Amino acid sequence: MYNILALLFKYIFIIIIYLFIFSIIRLIYLDIKGMNVVSFDNKAYIKLINRKDYLPYKIEEYYIIDKVLTLGRHGENHIVVKDPYISKEHFQIVEDEDEYYLEDLGSANGTYLNGDKIYDIVKLQDGDIIKAGQIEFLFVNRK
Amino acid sequence: MNKGILSRSPRNLLFIFQVLGLTLLLIYKGKDIDKLTLGTAVGLVLVIYLSNYILTKITSGDNYIFLITTMLVSIGIIMIYRINEGLGIKQLIWISMGIFLFFLTYFIIRKIRIWENLTYIYLIGAYILFIITFVFGDRKHGAINWVNIGQFSFQPSEIIKILLIFILSSYYSNKDRWKEIKYSSYYLMGIIYSFIMLLFLQKDLGTALVFYTIFVAIQFIYEDDRKLVLINIGLSIFFGILGYTLFDHVKIRFQSWLNPWKYIERQGYQITQSLFAIAEGGFFGKGLGLGHPDFIPVVYTDFIFSAICEEMGIFTGIGIIMLFMILVYRGFKIAIAQRNKFYRILALGISILFGVQSFIILGGVIKMIPLTGLTLPFISYGGSSILTSFIALGILQICSEEIKTKEELDEAGD
Repeated sequence: MYNILALLFKYIFIIIIYLFIFSIIRLIYLDIKGMNVVSFDNKAYIKLINRKDYLPYKIEEYYIIDKVLTLGRHGENHIVVKDPYISKEHFQIVEDEDEYYLEDLGSANGTYLNGDKIYDIVKLQDGDIIKAGQIEFLFVNRK
Repeated sequence: MNKGILSRSPRNLLFIFQVLGLTLLLIYKGKDIDKLTLGTAVGLVLVIYLSNYILTKITSGDNYIFLITTMLVSIGIIMIYRINEGLGIKQLIWISMGIFLFFLTYFIIRKIRIWENLTYIYLIGAYILFIITFVFGDRKHGAINWVNIGQFSFQPSEIIKILLIFILSSYYSNKDRWKEIKYSSYYLMGIIYSFIMLLFLQKDLGTALVFYTIFVAIQFIYEDDRKLVLINIGLSIFFGILGYTLFDHVKIRFQSWLNPWKYIERQGYQITQSLFAIAEGGFFGKGLGLGHPDFIPVVYTDFIFSAICEEMGIFTGIGIIMLFMILVYRGFKIAIAQRNKFYRILALGISILFGVQSFIILGGVIKMIPLTGLTLPFISYGGSSILTSFIALGILQICSEEIKTKEELDEAGD
């Protein structure tokens, strides 16, 4: 009696173990698939140049510019950077008729475009490097 | 549709597996099962189910690693209980304590945030544990790695494993501070080598190998001075050859790996019995309780995998290997996603620990690499092994969450 049961159970055990593995892999797959893979076609964006590991605060690798993009220490900005060298409202990038403009919002330590401090609104070109505090962004506009 | 998904969720599958296993063991042992054991077992099944449920509520991090390990634990306990009832009951208690420690570690590490600055304390702790092992240690299966305190005996080297990961993480995450001391990386290497030498003197070759692999892997990823990595690999080859020529027990291991059939009477006995058992089981196994796992020496700890293969089939064996692979994969994924460097190295170290330890012992029992005595994490019988594995898992669970730095915490408090 027990022998028959044991024979039956060994198949059931194997089936359950594999179903278990399968369901976990499926969940992990869904998890990976759900990660936001954004396509950058026809969109202007800024890319972080610094190695993310070396920045002691939360920051993303890419930011897409949708009409306007602001950076600052204050929580209401699009990019919030908890860096003492960044002002509450540091700079913003504005889109106007398919052109992108960089504007410093009166920051204490200034915003630099390709190494030069900016004082007025400056038009951005593909490949420009924007620097604020210790973080650097690459401006990309492939149109 | 909704119900279909629900019943197929891994948590429920695990529950079904445990209930079926329990039923089968009940029928196998017949009437002579006592109520206390039964109560503990049923309690554990419920605790595991609830823990998996609660964990999805309290943690913002990974939900899979605890599921995977509880599955491994369940397979292990079924097998251990079937081989030896007494050890099975003890293992039930160890697992319950392990789950408790998992949650305890989780909350302690989450609450206290000074772990990256305690390098010297970890170092002193590790050396004290080594001294304890040498002074009070007992010899079991050729290795001095057991310490008896009253009724209990434990393996200090299991705890040192976790301390080692903490030492490496606290060193490499504070690299800038340590750079002020000249040759600090060389000192670190000296310290780790002293650990490995001490383990070697205890004849605990498997653990020495685990220590070495964790060290090399983390050094390879984080050391700026690339020369050191080369020196390290060169030294390992040198010490490997030296160990082979100087120490007899290394030579024996190696010879019984190359040709166990020649030494089947003595040194090759374990490995040949293990191979016989795996071959006997075939794809689907003999069925629980119908094989002869008691022919294999030290079957509860080192050779549990062979026993599982014999009675539950090589498919279960492959399943176990796959579960370990998913566990290690999750560990690496956690490490990659973690922003805080200390916790990232910690996650990496623990994943490497699980991966390497299971590889060494699984490879050993199937005669892929020379056999060294190690426990299979989460499956083998053993208090120290189960408890430290669960502590390590608790740390990994914390690492899977977003760690806020002190400044961020202060600002949130304002």
